[in-house]
Amino acid sequence: MARHPLIGYLVWVVLFGAVFAWEGLALARVTGVPSLSDVFRVIMRYPVGRWALFALWLWAGWHFFIRGWHFLLRG
Amino acid sequence: MASADVLALSLADRQALVPMAAGYLILMSALGFGLRRLYRPRGDPSGADAWPDRARATPPGPGQRTGWAALVRRVAGTVVGGYLLLMAVVVAYYFGVARVGPGFLESAVTGTALLLGLAAPVFAALSWLAERRDRARDRAEPGEPGQAPQDCRGSGV
Repeated sequence: MARHPLIGYLVWVVLFGAVFAWEGLALARVTGVPSLSDVFRVIMRYPVGRWALFALWLWAGWHFFIRGWHFLLRG
Repeated sequence: MASADVLALSLADRQALVPMAAGYLILMSALGFGLRRLYRPRGDPSGADAWPDRARATPPGPGQRTGWAALVRRVAGTVVGGYLLLMAVVVAYYFGVARVGPGFLESAVTGTALLLGLAAPVFAALSWLAERRDRARDRAEPGEPGQAPQDCRGSGV
């Protein structure tokens, strides 16, 4: 298995932590903070938005399940 | 006979499996917590409001049709449009940015098609089960009118 620098993991931890923190604020009903569901609902109103989300979903699944997840830590 | 060696994970497997399993558990826990917060409001311990009203869960857009035919059309359009969009991006990336190696384009076409082939039946089955559950609930509560299936309930597609 390839060895990845710690900074790669740290960056992803911070990014995911920020997403969870945002969602936590939204679920706590903090004014002006839309939840991820609200965001996706707005995006999915439009066909192009649905295409883009579905393409992103496919791309993520292709990498995680077929090409391997190490691309996240390339650099 | 299955020996312990078969079940034992190598160091590389553990290094890959543990972060993925931990991430999965954290994500699912957060989603579960969020759903509990949304679907069980405080001050209603009876659980009468255990499920959100459907309009809040997935409101149909202006002019959006409902019903099975509309759902199928919408999902098919999303699947075809999303697949073609991804293929366009992958091809543009391959020829315009980096020729990442042999088999890249073939993997993109066949790999994502495989994912679609796996996900589409699951999505259809979950949508059918969700619709069946809603109909059963409508029968149990005759005061509430039944509703046609809406957009993309049943899975995250």
